[in-house]
Amino acid sequence: MLFGKECRRILTSLTFIIYCFVVGLFFVSQFIDENKGDPYIPDEKISEDHDIIIDSAVDCLANEYLANNYICYPLGFYKSVRLKEDDSQKVEECLLEITGLTHDELMDIRDSGEHYYVEHGIQETMYYEIGELPVSDTITYERFCELMGQVDDILGGGSKYKVDDLVANYSYVPMTQEDREAIISDLYDKDRVVGGYARLFSDYVGIDLGIMPVFVAAALVSADRRKRVSDLIYTRKISSLKLIFTRYTALVTMMFIPVILCMISADIHLIRYFDFNDLALYKMFTLPTFWLLPQLMIVTAAAMIVTEVFSSGIAILFQFAWWFYSIMADGARLSGSISKFDLVCRHNTVFGREEFMLSKNDFIFNRIFYFIAAIVITAITAYIYELKRGGRFHGIRLFGKNSIFRHKA
Amino acid sequence: MEKKIVIKNVSKFYGRKQALFDIDLTIGQGMFGLLGRNGAGKTTLMKTLAALHRKKGGEITVCGVPIEKAKEIRAMTGYLPQDFSMYPSMKADEALDYLGALSGIPKAERKKRVTSLLRKVNLIEHRHKKVRELSGGMKRRLGIAQALIHDPTVLIVDEPTAGLDPEERIRFRNLLCEVAEERIVILSTHIVGDIEATCENIAIMDEGKILWKGTVEQLIENARGHIFTSNVEKRFMPQIKKEYIVTGMLSQNDYTTVRIVSDSEPDLPNTVLTEPDLEGAYMYCLHSSGCDVRGGEE
Repeated sequence: MLFGKECRRILTSLTFIIYCFVVGLFFVSQFIDENKGDPYIPDEKISEDHDIIIDSAVDCLANEYLANNYICYPLGFYKSVRLKEDDSQKVEECLLEITGLTHDELMDIRDSGEHYYVEHGIQETMYYEIGELPVSDTITYERFCELMGQVDDILGGGSKYKVDDLVANYSYVPMTQEDREAIISDLYDKDRVVGGYARLFSDYVGIDLGIMPVFVAAALVSADRRKRVSDLIYTRKISSLKLIFTRYTALVTMMFIPVILCMISADIHLIRYFDFNDLALYKMFTLPTFWLLPQLMIVTAAAMIVTEVFSSGIAILFQFAWWFYSIMADGARLSGSISKFDLVCRHNTVFGREEFMLSKNDFIFNRIFYFIAAIVITAITAYIYELKRGGRFHGIRLFGKNSIFRHKA
Repeated sequence: MEKKIVIKNVSKFYGRKQALFDIDLTIGQGMFGLLGRNGAGKTTLMKTLAALHRKKGGEITVCGVPIEKAKEIRAMTGYLPQDFSMYPSMKADEALDYLGALSGIPKAERKKRVTSLLRKVNLIEHRHKKVRELSGGMKRRLGIAQALIHDPTVLIVDEPTAGLDPEERIRFRNLLCEVAEERIVILSTHIVGDIEATCENIAIMDEGKILWKGTVEQLIENARGHIFTSNVEKRFMPQIKKEYIVTGMLSQNDYTTVRIVSDSEPDLPNTVLTEPDLEGAYMYCLHSSGCDVRGGEE
């Protein structure tokens, strides 16, 4: 059976062995080694209280505005933004609308407090101790979000005022004993322990699966060209659709096997630390499969199509950029909302079931979207392969002497 | 269904560069040789016949099937590319089995054919060797075996003997003749000896055009009266090479016996008209078609 032969080719390839090693190593170092004994309970929780969010955000904004130094993380990289006067004026207008203060009142508050200096590299910034600012009685949460969005735009994005991140950035409150008992109860009663760890497992392994499959897929797809076997394969009777889907299925199957082994290991690991009767072991297979398989599928499909059109090197660069953007675009947020198009969905905690469930619909949409997209992309790859096979397309070279189009047949 | 390939007015472009010019050929059952210099367009024509390249104009039918029906063409064609290569870590039998699977041959049938073909190409003892461990000649034989795995009606073999030692070359030619008994075999080569030993019908290509087509005997007959031998002093050789088409030289003491292709009898001492061989006939064909085939100065 061709599927078995393709699996065997993958199994004996060096890139697959490296893939298995990296996935295994990451799983052991991040999941096994870091989760021995009782789970770590964080000191804070997300409240989602609009008043708390507005209070915290406005204080932060006022501090940064008065210092004219805004800390941003565009694409996850630290950036200190200093605004010109007209932009600073626009931020002030937002701030004044939220607080209900006048410019003079704001300046009075600034001047009544102490100030101190903080070094940022070679620059020194003066900060003011302004305490808590008032919030206008007339400001609604919707208007507040609108103004925060404007501030984020003025700052060029990636700021702490990005609307989608307001809850995650400003709604944290200290956790009470009751809260602690409640989340432990959620873990045991609703997640049956394994559910919480399954999310954490998916978070860790998802980071791997956002990048590692590209190496295996690109290596397999480009092997025909590298080993000069393309013409032999092209002249075979097999249809391009069958060949590409067989190779695709073999890649996804083989690359998911180490993930399944990690799932089994995770369950065995949990059995060591928890009462067996508290554990719903199947949850380590259901959620991570729904979480990770579409991701593996889309990364593999993208690697295949980019390799067919360009080259394996471009596929790796493309995937690295996508993976990096997905991880870093939200300022390296480890948990919280999952958007409809995140490649790598993050939820780096055993707890936070409620928080995760808030994004449930987007998460489901996201995974189904990538599942379908992967199949569509693979079908397009088969079409491109058929074009190449019949000499109607020769690939696009972005680099080298014959860059862009090598031949126009 | 008549076993023949009909090529009518076929042209092919790489971008703006024309690689094939109005090719007209009819190739019947048995061995057919396509002879030409490197860069003559042989590989382009071979790949077009194997449905790997798209022609720009004209018609090609393979046993009555238009070349555009790629799936049917692939099912009836075996192809051995010029630079045959296979996944190096696969064993010889695995490689055949894999390509057989891609050709849609059922497992049981594949098993039989792999064994039978490995025996036929004398690789049965090396079946468990990895492709990377096979010698050049063994690889070419494996190449023929893979091209025959689905029992094709047409076998396209592109420059199969380049780089082989004489013993392997002879073995390979014999193998080709054996498999040509029941099918159309197109052998593309720039080595005249390969054609001489295997083909009855040939075509000569140069710069994307068919210069000549017919039987080997006709080609030789065509050159009759144009091949000469002369016995000249060695010191005149550079000048002779510059002025004439020299196809052979045999040095003895201070004299060299040269074999010359010429329209008329060369003005050289001790010149006699000679019975043409295929190599001389081929050179005469190129020369009479306007190709520059002089060796020039040493």
